[in-house]
Amino acid sequence: MPIIELKNITHAYGKKRVLQNISLNIEPGKLTCLLGGSGSGKTTILRLIAGLEIPEKGEIYIENKLVTNDSNILIPSNKRNLGFIFQDLALWPHFTVFENIAFGLKERRTQQIEQKVSEILSFFDLQAFAEKYPHQLSGGQQQLVAISRALVLEPKILLMDEPLSGLDVKLKRKILEHIKDLKKNFDVTLVYVTHDHREAFAIADQIIVLNEGKLVEAASAKEIKHSENEYVKYFLEY
Amino acid sequence: MIRKNYFFISGFLFLLLTAACVKQKKTVVVYATVDQIFSEPVLKEFEKDSGIEVKAVYDTEETKSTGVLNRIIAEKENPQCDVFWSGDPVRSAVLSQKGITAAYNSPVAADINNVFKDPEHHWTGFSARARVLIYNKDLIDPVEAPQSIFDLTKEKYKGKVTIANPLFGTTTFHIAAIFSVLGDQKAIQFLTDLKNNDVVIATSNGDVKKMVSEGKVACGLTDTDDAFEALKEGENIGMVFLDQQGIGTLIMPNTVSMIKNSPNPENAKKLIDYLLSRKTEAALAKSCAQMPLHKGVDIPKEIPSLDAIVPMKIDYNKTAQKLEEIQNYLKEWVEN
Amino acid sequence: MGGKLIKYPIYTSVFLLFVLFIIAPVFYTLLFFEGSLVENLKLLDQKTFYLLGKSILIAFTIASFATFFGTILGFLLYRTNLRFRNFYRMVLMIPLFISPYILAVAWKDLFFLFTGSSDWIASETGVILVLGIIFTPLSMLITGNAFNNINTHLEETGLMITDLQSVIFKIILPLIKPALFTSFVLIFIFSISEFSVPSYFGVRLFTTEMFTQFSAFYNHSLAVLQSVLLILICVVLLYADRKYLADAPFLSFGGKGKKVKIFTLKKYRIPDELFVFFWFLISVLLPFSVLIIQSFKGGISKFIQAFELLKPTFLSSVYLALLGAAISVFIGFTAAYISEVRKIKIFDWFLLFVFAIPSTIFGISLIKFYNHPFLDFIYSGFAIVIIAYVGKFSFIAAKLIGNAIKQIPQSLEEAAQIEGVGFYRRIRKIVFPLVLPAVFTAFIINFTFSIGELGTTIMVYPPGSEIMPIKVFTIMANAPQSLVSAMTLIVLGVTLLLITIMYLIVKPLLKNYSDANN
Repeated sequence: MPIIELKNITHAYGKKRVLQNISLNIEPGKLTCLLGGSGSGKTTILRLIAGLEIPEKGEIYIENKLVTNDSNILIPSNKRNLGFIFQDLALWPHFTVFENIAFGLKERRTQQIEQKVSEILSFFDLQAFAEKYPHQLSGGQQQLVAISRALVLEPKILLMDEPLSGLDVKLKRKILEHIKDLKKNFDVTLVYVTHDHREAFAIADQIIVLNEGKLVEAASAKEIKHSENEYVKYFLEY
Repeated sequence: MIRKNYFFISGFLFLLLTAACVKQKKTVVVYATVDQIFSEPVLKEFEKDSGIEVKAVYDTEETKSTGVLNRIIAEKENPQCDVFWSGDPVRSAVLSQKGITAAYNSPVAADINNVFKDPEHHWTGFSARARVLIYNKDLIDPVEAPQSIFDLTKEKYKGKVTIANPLFGTTTFHIAAIFSVLGDQKAIQFLTDLKNNDVVIATSNGDVKKMVSEGKVACGLTDTDDAFEALKEGENIGMVFLDQQGIGTLIMPNTVSMIKNSPNPENAKKLIDYLLSRKTEAALAKSCAQMPLHKGVDIPKEIPSLDAIVPMKIDYNKTAQKLEEIQNYLKEWVEN
Repeated sequence: MGGKLIKYPIYTSVFLLFVLFIIAPVFYTLLFFEGSLVENLKLLDQKTFYLLGKSILIAFTIASFATFFGTILGFLLYRTNLRFRNFYRMVLMIPLFISPYILAVAWKDLFFLFTGSSDWIASETGVILVLGIIFTPLSMLITGNAFNNINTHLEETGLMITDLQSVIFKIILPLIKPALFTSFVLIFIFSISEFSVPSYFGVRLFTTEMFTQFSAFYNHSLAVLQSVLLILICVVLLYADRKYLADAPFLSFGGKGKKVKIFTLKKYRIPDELFVFFWFLISVLLPFSVLIIQSFKGGISKFIQAFELLKPTFLSSVYLALLGAAISVFIGFTAAYISEVRKIKIFDWFLLFVFAIPSTIFGISLIKFYNHPFLDFIYSGFAIVIIAYVGKFSFIAAKLIGNAIKQIPQSLEEAAQIEGVGFYRRIRKIVFPLVLPAVFTAFIINFTFSIGELGTTIMVYPPGSEIMPIKVFTIMANAPQSLVSAMTLIVLGVTLLLITIMYLIVKPLLKNYSDANN
């Protein structure tokens, strides 16, 4: 049973069509990569799942519930029980690390905020930075803060939009390890958008290859690696 | 619709809170185009004497905003103003023509010459100014100072005479009076000659005073209040009542009118009576050199008595009408 | 559209209230003005359009002049290590705090003092010069804020490839294009509807013509019709602005790279400092020396008299300007947010529409609409003055705040949205703190304009009330020059004092913000 299901989704920004009648499934408890070049529509799919965009046509199911039906949002973003890591991380510059992480908890009137925040901070070894502002951290630390901020709310699904662009290879590898472990440690389904197939092969269970708003191939990482599809072969060469 | 009403009401409630001004019973509302620096003390004195609170809107012709007059016109459907105090009869006449004023024959003005009153009692004159020539003694020898407006068109004053923009203020009235007295043909000839003599058009009477004092021009036409001010400020200024052997000097009274359907008519009458009284005339003579229209008002020495001046013989209402007729001509005259 | 309106109840209420209280009076007057339309249309002859053309040309020159020098000053004072830049940033604003009329008088006196003739200044050139000088600080403020918000990485990347000069022209200026445009549009509209300076200098322009219709001929309907032309021009201009800026580059706050880079002036230090000093000299020192000399001619007693005259106006004027600025900023923020983030532009257009109406016409509209017995509680109280302020200046607040909101990456708000942060808390906790400097700037500018507003206020102020600029203006006639100059200086002093106090109050908040960004 897929945890996320897109059925016949079509989407456009103004007159520019970005998704053409696309359907795909995301399996629970796995890490799925949406892989594609720029303009492939991968980020749009992520934003549609999150409810940040409203599709023109089609249905989206999350945990078997219809959340979007054509251009009607049935369940808003904040009720979908998911986390989102933006490409620019979107850390609030005027909040400290602690405040960044605690903000959502406060909003949900969660008990023991302090404890939860410090738990997640110590999980990622960030205790020392609690009172710092985002810009005072290194790029890698910012990544982890963004991940902590999303995970502290205990989402079922974590959506990540090319979060590692701009990090050095060593750091990237380290964070990718972290990400790989997330599904075990936090019991979360991951959807990871990237244009970098090495990144995808390093972490993904499933890979969905997209091109110009259409689904090219969806299969396990291993199968994609040995795909016979012309476009996939071409894409993996680089 | 219900939704809209709700916003409407809540908005009103909000503004109600801020609308701090609550109407009081014993008040009178006056709109004055006479310079606040002179009119305010008079109104304050009235408050003290009568116990009626005066709410004033001031304006000034100096900068030609004429906000007050346009405001009265715009408010005519629901008048807010009780009394209109004007620095000259023109504005009162305009209002009376537009049917905005009411008749009130104040007993206090009984001994004021009928020339200075509207026959229908829509306005009544008091304290007057005269149109005079001021000149700079450094540039014109007092012995040779012009004695008539016609002197100003002479070759020797080419480019040396200034008048304020005739589209506004008392200058308009002065020109209209000249039309009244001379007839259209001669008046137009005079203005054409003046123009050909490169007359300098100032922005206001105050500006005329300034230009003459500073010697930018040799002489100019202005009101007595500005002239006396100039005499006080500088020793090099001379003043002439023009055309004493001819058409006479234009006398311009202050005027006061009652507004039709005004909110406080009884208080309005009291204020009008007060403004027309000798006390006010004495005060204005002292503060801004205005000449009383009542006989025998106690005035400072340097203020000339009206008896000593040969006035221009005009009908003020007709002149005000004339003014409307010649506005377009004057506009052309200024612009070309 | 309907659905969207109901989705944002606060926006909808603010919008409807604005339409009801401010737009409705204007439409009421425009649609139901007295007099025959045909007759009046006939009066719109070739000459009218010639004057309109001349006015456009002059306003265009002023707006270009002020934006050009304002941008230079903005860059030098906000982005370089020019000496005394904090001092200059403050004092160069002064011309903005004074009625243009009084500055025009000071300039004319000054020219007469030095050259013995005021012919040169009392001309089109004089109008351009004086209004240009008055509006340059506005441009400096707008561009200065924009310079501060550029992502430093973008500049640094440029500096790797080429020299500072090319970086300024090829990178920095294109990045602040929205600010340059805002500056130009605002100043253009201000200049084209300015009346007092051309009138004082005896220059015939469209506004003076309109005014003549109004005050010499009492032809309200023709004046209204002429103002429609003016409004059309402003609308066309803003439409161009929209079209042109649709693809303007998005500037972004990064987590990093927000720290403002201060450029070191090297070989240009001397000319730059001379330039700024020269500007200070001509825009502030010279005209104000004239005012100071004039006001002390009468000794200290004139100051005391001026203070006594103005004393009863302080409280009401400050109260009205504060309330007006607060409401304007609230409206501006609401309109800007909806326009920038939700892309609903209609509110913007309405704000511009009122902004573009000449003051007197706006005043007449308010009278005609509100002067009915059942609306007396508005018309006979201070509410009408607040309505005037809010109508006239909300556009400026919306523009300034809008430019700031444009620069916040949408992801910052979306991140909060996904975390379940409600709409109003997102605004309060994320958007508002990030645009706080712009909100503060907008508040100060609105406060300054409101406390000096004359054209509309004089038409509608409640009888018997004391309002600062009105008092200066009505006393001005036939009062000794020394008294007028003294009153002007007191007004300036009070305005500066209040702005300083406000700055001190807001400073801790702004500091908090800038800590987060440095």
